[in-house]
Amino acid sequence: MSRHLSGSFLFLLAGLFALPFLAIALSAVATDWSDALLPRHIGLDVITSVLGDPRFQASVLRSLAISFTALALSLALIVPAIVAAHVYWPALDRWFARLVVLPYAVPAVVLVVGYLRVFSQPPVQINGTPTLLALAYVPLCFPMLYVNVKNALQGLAVRDWLDAGRLVGATDERVLLCVVLPMIAPAIGLACVLNLGILMGEFVYANLLVGGRFETLQIYMFAQRSESGSVTSVIILAYFLTLLLLTALAIWLSARGGTDKR
Amino acid sequence: MLSRRLYVLPFLALLALIVVWPLSTVVVGSFKPGAPLEHYAYILGSRFYLKAFSVTLKLSLLTTALGLAIAVLPAIALRARSRRLSDLALTIGNIGANFAGVPSVLAFMILLGSNGIVTKLLREAGLMEGFDLYSWSGLVLTYLFFQVSIGTVLVLPVITAIPRDIEEAADLLGQGGARFWASVGLPVVWRQLLSVATLLFANAMGTYATAYTLMGTSAQIVTVRIGELVAGDVFADPGLANALSICLLVVLIAPILLAQLLTAKGTKA
Repeated sequence: MSRHLSGSFLFLLAGLFALPFLAIALSAVATDWSDALLPRHIGLDVITSVLGDPRFQASVLRSLAISFTALALSLALIVPAIVAAHVYWPALDRWFARLVVLPYAVPAVVLVVGYLRVFSQPPVQINGTPTLLALAYVPLCFPMLYVNVKNALQGLAVRDWLDAGRLVGATDERVLLCVVLPMIAPAIGLACVLNLGILMGEFVYANLLVGGRFETLQIYMFAQRSESGSVTSVIILAYFLTLLLLTALAIWLSARGGTDKR
Repeated sequence: MLSRRLYVLPFLALLALIVVWPLSTVVVGSFKPGAPLEHYAYILGSRFYLKAFSVTLKLSLLTTALGLAIAVLPAIALRARSRRLSDLALTIGNIGANFAGVPSVLAFMILLGSNGIVTKLLREAGLMEGFDLYSWSGLVLTYLFFQVSIGTVLVLPVITAIPRDIEEAADLLGQGGARFWASVGLPVVWRQLLSVATLLFANAMGTYATAYTLMGTSAQIVTVRIGELVAGDVFADPGLANALSICLLVVLIAPILLAQLLTAKGTKA
């Protein structure tokens, strides 16, 4: 394949990917675009009215709240588990590596069927609550955390440091907290940003577990699907820009963490 | 040493609570007391559910094959270029993956729906005959969007990892370009590509948001059928939802296990 040909092929693909977003951006500012090739008027009224809509704002806040709760839970439960398995329990670690495909192998719909039975009665009666939603989100955070933290751990001589620590009377916990944790912090940060993108975009659990009782951003978007094209365009555009922002943050974080990788 | 293994316990406890326990009740609940296989027999005898399985299977197989093919070509093209460009492609794929589901379907509606921007343009040019977004072709299109995105993220590292010297050696022997990829390049990484394919397939089989946003409960998709039984006003038949879930799990996990078996055999030989 000639270089010229592959170049135009990549250019074509990039264009195909970018075109829809440009059209949607245009549709978000177009106020009168019903009968012409290009809009007659351009204005920011729809943008201000959507962004100023209390229902939209509340849904963004709910999404952020549930995502950060789930992230905090994941950090508290998953990071210690990954580090402990890496250092003390290699057999379990191999199972963790397989667990990365869990969100693919067990679809959310299937788990929801189980939740409705298990959590609709005591002892854990949390069906329909944001609590259940946050708990259901924790396993979703596992793959990104595992891949990134594990990558960072593999570049470190954790065992040697623990041995050295024992020589000077430092507990393993102290070495892990004061030496290892700062070294893997950039990887954890990167995983958090990537997971935030996943959780903000989650629809299945949100729709089937809480639905309209706790309207997240995705549920709000879904409810607006029959609205006018310009309203949905603004919502999609806002969401897309948020994703871009998160991505920029992720790139910045991985560039910072990448300096001390091989 | 051993006592520090306890740090994994909270996470394992959560997995037990939020994955293992619910999943095991789905398995147990799929068998009807007294007539264990009745729900399964009902599904196998129901044209409605069999149709959902056949449509979902066809859609998943088609978009997995197309998605993989569309992801492999740019990955090959990107190999000859700078690392930065590959990173950019990975980033775009990642954004695409996060954009999947409700937002992507809304975007397709704005562009290609009955009053869409592109629809109007194409209709004027007389090119829109027979296309309906809210149909099979719409499902293929919207599924392809996320299959290509995720496919790119998974395939790019695989193609990039192929050692450059075999490509150069093949080139010296006059086996460059397309012939290299057909006879050497892709066969070298077929195992990785196979596992990517199984993940894409599983992902498509388990997708709910895309089909549900596009067509609501009229989508003949297994996950939508299950969701309907679960979220409907009346939870009429929980046993049926359980059995449908198990059938879906079997169809979706079998290729993953098969691919793992195949690749494990290959590495030993």
